Amino acid sequence: MNPLSEQHILKSRNQIKSIVFLGISTFVLALIAMGQGPYEKLDIWTTAKMIFGFETPTSTEHSIIWRIRFPRILMAIVGGVALATAGALMQGCLGNPLVSPLTLGVASGAALGAAVAIMLGFSVIGGQLAIIGNAFLFALVVVFIIIQLGSTHSVSAESYILVGIAITFIAGAITSVLNYFATDEQVSQLMHWSFGSLGRVDRDTAMFLTFPVLSLVPLALKWSWDLNALSVGGDEFAISTGVDPAGFRKTVLVLSALLTALVISFTGLIGFVGLAAPHMARVIVGNDFRKLIPSSAIFGAFLMLFADTLGRTLFAPIIIPVGVMLSVIGGPFFMYLLIRSKGR
Amino acid sequence: MVLSNIITVENLRFGYPKNEVLKGIDLTLHDNELVCLLGVNGAGKSTLLKCILGILKHQSGNISYGDLAQQINAGDENTSSKSVSSEDLDPMQMARYMSYVPQSVKSSFSIDVYDTIMLGRRPYIGWSISDMDREIVSKTIEFLNLEDFAFRKFNQLSGGERQRVIIGKAIAQSPRVFVLDEPTSDLDLKNQIQVMKKLKILVSDEKSPKAALVAIHDINMAARFADRILLMSDGEIIAGGTPRDVLTPENIQKVFGVTADVIESQEDNRFWIHVKDEIGGELEDEHVFWEHQNIENEG
Repeated sequence: MNPLSEQHILKSRNQIKSIVFLGISTFVLALIAMGQGPYEKLDIWTTAKMIFGFETPTSTEHSIIWRIRFPRILMAIVGGVALATAGALMQGCLGNPLVSPLTLGVASGAALGAAVAIMLGFSVIGGQLAIIGNAFLFALVVVFIIIQLGSTHSVSAESYILVGIAITFIAGAITSVLNYFATDEQVSQLMHWSFGSLGRVDRDTAMFLTFPVLSLVPLALKWSWDLNALSVGGDEFAISTGVDPAGFRKTVLVLSALLTALVISFTGLIGFVGLAAPHMARVIVGNDFRKLIPSSAIFGAFLMLFADTLGRTLFAPIIIPVGVMLSVIGGPFFMYLLIRSKGR
Repeated sequence: MVLSNIITVENLRFGYPKNEVLKGIDLTLHDNELVCLLGVNGAGKSTLLKCILGILKHQSGNISYGDLAQQINAGDENTSSKSVSSEDLDPMQMARYMSYVPQSVKSSFSIDVYDTIMLGRRPYIGWSISDMDREIVSKTIEFLNLEDFAFRKFNQLSGGERQRVIIGKAIAQSPRVFVLDEPTSDLDLKNQIQVMKKLKILVSDEKSPKAALVAIHDINMAARFADRILLMSDGEIIAGGTPRDVLTPENIQKVFGVTADVIESQEDNRFWIHVKDEIGGELEDEHVFWEHQNIENEG
């Protein structure tokens, strides 16, 4: 075999090893996270033994592990994977490192939906799901605008970003008006929703969200060649390798936005992971999307787990919402990684 | 020898509102032929290439991809003689038929040079890279002497190195037609000649028929390597034929507005164009303008 081919295979193998290592670390972190909680008997070691069947839990312990702790951990993983994958996809197809899943205005739409439910008492679904249902519906309106935009002639990557910014301003302004006339209690309720937390998700919801998220990842992997072509050479270069940039961009953005809408309507605003996880993954595996997508997904899960676990344990019994925690610890770490990688 | 038309363009028109760029272009491209497209800035060279590639949708006229028609109609006896136009083709088929080197690329995230050239294999790859794809890419890198930076990031390269990498991607694509837009604009003298020579080698290989359509500014490079030259001016092809037929002092004056001599080489059958001066003395007028400026400033 040609020595260049051998070198390429070797480099590829090393990257795959890094991804596997990252995956194992995330799994270990998930086990550690499963062993955290106010019920002290279920420490890391005991919980791990019970999960792997080396010890039989009592029915209370079983409930704590599988009904209370597991949904939260699963949601951290699913949410992290979803937002980080969506972030990597959107950065790639818009050719812009500043893009996150919230850039297109999905989050502002969701926040407006939540505000309408809380302050005007208007919601599409009643009962406990009122806020979630409204957040999702309003986020869908934003997705619909993206679809319409994508169908117009010669829409560029920049137009998507600019329209996203416009949507963010419009939805933000309406939310501010609603806030202005709301009672203190309503304002605090909206504030609470917007923090972004994993505590509101029960097991069925977490399981339900797993399927769309898990089906996006292989699709994203399939798209990685097109993303490489677009990000290395722009639209015309991509066309010459067989990509239809306009159609591709629309599909990718709509699916990423839908997934983001689905996750944040349940968890509230969690933005940072979608921006930071892909960049952190870049430091390790570079920009090749065939490696970047899986490593971003795993990094997303890792970050969410880490931030949530720290948020639960640092000032226990007070729980700091994961959205806040992510920005507080993820931000400086992110900056450190960027400065270090630029220095090399 | 029967020449098969691998691209035929008939009465092609393209324009923007208030600005017609291509005003009825006719051209054919045959196997084993390197055709150079010469003309001033804004003559419509890049637009023509983009229309042929399907990047821009032409407003009227017809482009047919002769050889592709045979491949597509192979299973259908009734239509075996029908040619195929860009609307009938999906992007992947087009990418296997034609590869493109744009004038410049807009890179937002960059990957290794090796993986950039691997993008040329994209039209043939499902998801995983085969050993053959790897061998083709490695051989292309050796062919263009890119070994020294095969595993460096694309955006860490100089302009000329990048251009050679993009040419490498086009070669790895194993197309029937190379469509190159000023492929030597950023290259040093030696690399310009090498790239054109290698392109000529690829196109001249009779075992795997290929052709190249190259928009280029260097008249002498075109004179040396082109089998045919098309002179473009203001959206029209005003002259076409062998370099000797087309590159006459009259044509050069008409298209570029400069006076030039054709100088015969003493050693071989080659010739080159010696550009003497521009017509109209615009430069002298400008000189006077700047001198006036200086006098005024001093005063």
